[in-house]
Amino acid sequence: MTTSDDAVAILDAQPEIRQGSRWRLYLPAGLLALPLLLFLTYFFFYPAITLLLSSIQTQNSQGIIGRPFTLAHYARLINVDLYSRVFWNTLRISVITSALATVLAYPVALVMVKSRPLVTRIITLIVIAPLVVSVVVRGYGWQLILANGPKGMLNWILMTLHITDGPVSVLYTEIAVVIGSLHVFFPMMVLPLASALGKIDPNLEDAARMLGAPWWKVFLRVTLPLSMPGFVAGFTLVFSLTAGSFVIPAILGGASAIMLGNLIEQQIFVVYDWPFGAAIAVILVGVVFAVNGFSMWLLEGRRLRRAS
Amino acid sequence: MDERFSGLGAFILYAITTAMMIFILAPLLLVMAVSVSDSYFVTFPPQGFTLKWYAKVLGDRDFLEAMRLSILLALGTTAGSLLFGVPAAFALVRGNFVGLAAIKGFLLSPLIFPSLVTGLALLQVLTKLGSQDARLNLLIGHIVVTSPYVIRTVVTSLQLVDENLEDAARTLGANRLRTFWRVTLPQIASGVAAGGLFAFMVSFDNYPVTMWLANSEYSPVPLVLMRQLVNVFDPSVPAMSTIIILMAMVGVLLLEKLVGLRRALAA
Repeated sequence: MTTSDDAVAILDAQPEIRQGSRWRLYLPAGLLALPLLLFLTYFFFYPAITLLLSSIQTQNSQGIIGRPFTLAHYARLINVDLYSRVFWNTLRISVITSALATVLAYPVALVMVKSRPLVTRIITLIVIAPLVVSVVVRGYGWQLILANGPKGMLNWILMTLHITDGPVSVLYTEIAVVIGSLHVFFPMMVLPLASALGKIDPNLEDAARMLGAPWWKVFLRVTLPLSMPGFVAGFTLVFSLTAGSFVIPAILGGASAIMLGNLIEQQIFVVYDWPFGAAIAVILVGVVFAVNGFSMWLLEGRRLRRAS
Repeated sequence: MDERFSGLGAFILYAITTAMMIFILAPLLLVMAVSVSDSYFVTFPPQGFTLKWYAKVLGDRDFLEAMRLSILLALGTTAGSLLFGVPAAFALVRGNFVGLAAIKGFLLSPLIFPSLVTGLALLQVLTKLGSQDARLNLLIGHIVVTSPYVIRTVVTSLQLVDENLEDAARTLGANRLRTFWRVTLPQIASGVAAGGLFAFMVSFDNYPVTMWLANSEYSPVPLVLMRQLVNVFDPSVPAMSTIIILMAMVGVLLLEKLVGLRRALAA
């Protein structure tokens, strides 16, 4: 009796097992994302929310953060001249760096895309290789080049060639920070530009040329508009990375070109003012998100226009 | 150069490109040149030739300790981000579930989030949890910032996999694990390797997350170097930097060999 029952049970179970294996065919594919999803929720999303919350709370004398809720930290960032200046410095340095990177990366990307394979390979290697060298090392290199006084390389060259009589002081200014940031984030502009330029159908440019357009007109009317997606992507990347940088302003900016990242570090490690540090961090994230959102909107808009 | 550019246009393009190549290489070459300078202070132009600064660096306990920590941390980060990232990439390409696009956006979001803030936020939560082992904290932080790189490279290579080959293997009786191991994995191997190499290099160089989570006992290489910049003025700092530059170059050449640089970065 029992044996036949078991047999029936097994027979009945058979289709279910089949069913089960077909289920497994689809279900686990999605489930494979679960470990990382949980990891990032716990160690990235949850901390970000916690930080956001502590930026609108109050820290008592024991350093414990809690109620009452307040917007005082944000008000302080806006109202205290010292802090608002750091905010505007950061925006200015980031905009100038990204603009310079665009102007200088465009020719490099063009040559990279349209040259013989060997030239393309060499340029690619030179552009990308420094990307993996520690930012601290690159900042240090610029410190050596820009060093104030006759021992800096730049000053040595300028004075040896008698371009200037005395040493110039570039290190520990905003200019030094822009130069350093440009060096660090230049590849982030070249690569998207090159990939956008590479996608342009060469027939379009040939057609324009055959119809009698001079090279600059071909560039302005065909190449440039079609490379806009690369430009927007590169600008956004360079802007976001520059705005959030810490090492370059710390090494090259000194006291006169402090950026938001340095201010956050100061508030946390020196002043121990967590809510204020958190508020500055939230502002920084807000600026980066705004720029990213704007560029996404631009790219979507372009796609629509091209389709119509 | 072909006939696409001519005359003044070509001249300007080439002049700017050459200038930028010099701009990119100058600080690195200068650091390397100064590292063999036979003088007690870093000066330009470098004087003489000596390898004594390398001897000093390679005998420096702090630097070697930091090197060991950084390499172990980068290896752990690579393993961790591959373990989390490869399956997740698989889910994103093969999965068919509600909210796929949103989940993909979420998994990649550490890329656009300023990592300085990622590290700060993580520090706050880990402190609350009472997690005091800096090594573990660094490992967690580094996996957060490197896993998106793995996802991007693996997703790209998975999209190129010929699913017919997998079906064939399955039809011929291979189970799913075997199919993945023998058919899918070889096809995405270069993507996985590139992702892993990225994870290693990003972890090894990371400053903005590391600066929050390290402590005086466990300081990875970038932090030690930063401290040396402020306190030491002899050419041992450029010697240290040169060692880091050379290690990075090995990484780049590996990446170029494995997948080709442009493809690895376009991913």
